Amino acid sequence: MLDVKDLRVRYGAVEAVKGVSFSVSAGSIVSLIGANGAGKTTSLRALTGLVRPSSGEVRFETASLLGRAPHEIVGLGIAHVPEGRRLFPKMTVLENLKMGAYRARRQKDIASTLGMIYEHFPILKERGRQVAGSLSGGEQQMLAIARALMSRPKLLLLDEPSMGLSPIMTAEIGKIIRQINDRDVSIILVEQNAMLALTLAQYGYVLETGSLVMQGNAQELLRDEGVKKAYLGI
Amino acid sequence: MPSKTPGQAPGKAIIAIVIAVLVLLALLVPPLGGDYYVHLLALVFTNVILAASLRPSLTCGQLNIGHSGFMSIGAYTSALLAKHFGLPFELSLLSGAIVAALVGVVIGYPALRLRGVYFAMVTVAFVEVIRLIAQIWVPLTRGMSGLSGVPKPNLLGITLTTKASQYYLALGLMLLILAILYKLERSRLGLIWRSIGMADPLAQSLGVNIAAHKLLAFMIGCFFAGVAGAFYAHFIRFLFPPEFGFLMATNILVYNYVGGRGHFVGAIVGAMFLSLLSEPFRGSAYETIFFSIAMLLTILFLPGGLITLPGKLAGLRSWRAASAPSPSPAG
Repeated sequence: MLDVKDLRVRYGAVEAVKGVSFSVSAGSIVSLIGANGAGKTTSLRALTGLVRPSSGEVRFETASLLGRAPHEIVGLGIAHVPEGRRLFPKMTVLENLKMGAYRARRQKDIASTLGMIYEHFPILKERGRQVAGSLSGGEQQMLAIARALMSRPKLLLLDEPSMGLSPIMTAEIGKIIRQINDRDVSIILVEQNAMLALTLAQYGYVLETGSLVMQGNAQELLRDEGVKKAYLGI
Repeated sequence: MPSKTPGQAPGKAIIAIVIAVLVLLALLVPPLGGDYYVHLLALVFTNVILAASLRPSLTCGQLNIGHSGFMSIGAYTSALLAKHFGLPFELSLLSGAIVAALVGVVIGYPALRLRGVYFAMVTVAFVEVIRLIAQIWVPLTRGMSGLSGVPKPNLLGITLTTKASQYYLALGLMLLILAILYKLERSRLGLIWRSIGMADPLAQSLGVNIAAHKLLAFMIGCFFAGVAGAFYAHFIRFLFPPEFGFLMATNILVYNYVGGRGHFVGAIVGAMFLSLLSEPFRGSAYETIFFSIAMLLTILFLPGGLITLPGKLAGLRSWRAASAPSPSPAG
């Protein structure tokens, strides 16, 4: 479904991503793990056109994504939940969700998607008129994910969904990610929490300072001595 | 802001009544007030149009300190077309607005790629360039001698000779433009503008074409600034380049900040309040001082603008009420 070949991104003189290749097959969860500064976030940002790669190839289904503007890429069916500021803090929950359906033209489609979202996230229906900035950390993360789903993506890019959340909330988000995947949405999960990432994913890639150092079945990576030491703290 | 559905219906009714009363009062000014007030209020109405038309780009997070340049373009275009080609007012006003909007696109296309203070600097340069062009291009604009003999406005072939009729024209234009801008702000477009103003990388990642939307918002603002300029030209009937300089541009910005940027009403309140209060100083050096003090006081005591004043006062009252009885059970 998605094929990334030899992706390179540089910020000025620094090369943040040094020739990374990975692929996602339809219906699967793939995770990119690695420490801070490994190039995970930058790779995602390159996929959705938020930064321009210096070289490489990115294919999504039949289309090449390189050189396309972010709004075109969203139109192809890729949604991105970025790290950092994920919400419009002064907008209500409902307005945030509507922003997610920005590409949908028909009100009817928006209403039916909203209905589906509320089934998954009843709390968001309850909080519809509340300002997004007043939600708890976990609720904000749910809203960010829900908003990405509003565009009815085929591929969802999640950047550090567990960041700053309590273990209970992290488990909750993990459950939600699985539910989304059950609805035939493929997912790329970028995480520092390698345990969470590898238990959810079928396949994993390990990045270190901009390069791919290891890849494999998520179960195998979980058992790998090197991964255990470096990322799982066992 | 918790959900308050029951409180909303009377809120809307009250707002409708307030608007109706204000419009009624405005309609009564020409028969009851003197010519002075008619003249003054017509100018206040143009200021309201200018302040409100700055909102689309302010909402997108663009600090535009050149709005009076677009007013100037609208004013000169409409005045010259009417004076030399005898274009009826409706058409010359529309032409002025369209030319202002087109110049807005030409300036905005490259400039809106700049962020924050860099964009603001371009708009400052722009307003000065427009002023200098109006001063130097003497054969067209008469330069510093000023362009005089601008025809009075006419509607459907009837010339509006009295100040009162021109006043009603200004009132009508203002109400129409405010309705349009308010509708836009409450539409999907307004939501997109807010999203860009709040977090533009996030808006971009959701698929908003932020460059195109910033340009559209800017262009809409320029169009209505052009309308305000065109009305001004045919109302004052004399155009003088420095009138549309940097000072006027900052005033339009100050209207928005002092009124409050959080709600559409802020621009209206700010423009009305400041243009009426600054009237005694108009044209003198004190005008600048007045606006500076108003801006400073706002930043210090009312960062949300005048529209947050009722809420603040209510908060103060409830705080007093809460703190007053508390010592009694303790004592």
